[in-house]
Amino acid sequence: MKNRLKVLRAERDWNQQDLANALGVSRQSVNAIETGKYDPSLPLAFRIADLFALPIEAIFLRD
Amino acid sequence: MHPLFRDPTYNRYLKRFIPASVIYAGAIVLASMLIPDHAKASPLTIGIALLPGLACTAMIWAMARLLVEMEDEYLRLIEIKKALIATGFALGVAATWGLLELYTDVPKLPVFLMFPIWCFGLAVGQLWLKVRDK
Repeated sequence: MKNRLKVLRAERDWNQQDLANALGVSRQSVNAIETGKYDPSLPLAFRIADLFALPIEAIFLRD
Repeated sequence: MHPLFRDPTYNRYLKRFIPASVIYAGAIVLASMLIPDHAKASPLTIGIALLPGLACTAMIWAMARLLVEMEDEYLRLIEIKKALIATGFALGVAATWGLLELYTDVPKLPVFLMFPIWCFGLAVGQLWLKVRDK
């Protein structure tokens, strides 16, 4: 699944570790999600959406 | 330092796994010293010979707890994938070598080697996932 995580992170001038810390996950997790290697669970997707104050469908896009 | 070493769950795992592996190694040495080759099964020899097996079971329990307690869902998935690859690898070795033993006179593979073979499978899994995700 494609996502806009990298763009949203860059807009806030965060690195992967900053985002990982904010979400309470590892930097590897953030990297895997950004590169499309891993689709997060629904609870983690909601945490990401809450952090960016956006709906999930504005971050994760249908293939 | 690898991020896993900063993870309290992984630290708990090491605190469980390292003592169990030290006891395992010590119990192997102890059993080899105390029990002569081809000794008859007695309560004493069985008791001594059981020690490394119990320590090995404790190592497996520590690995299982790691999977249960890991909060990072991506890292947990990686560990589970590695365990599945290791299980397939160990079952493949057991089935293949077992049939070789059945039909030919190849040396018998001691059953106690299955856990080390499974652990080797974890390393195979780690390597496979690393190469695949490059």
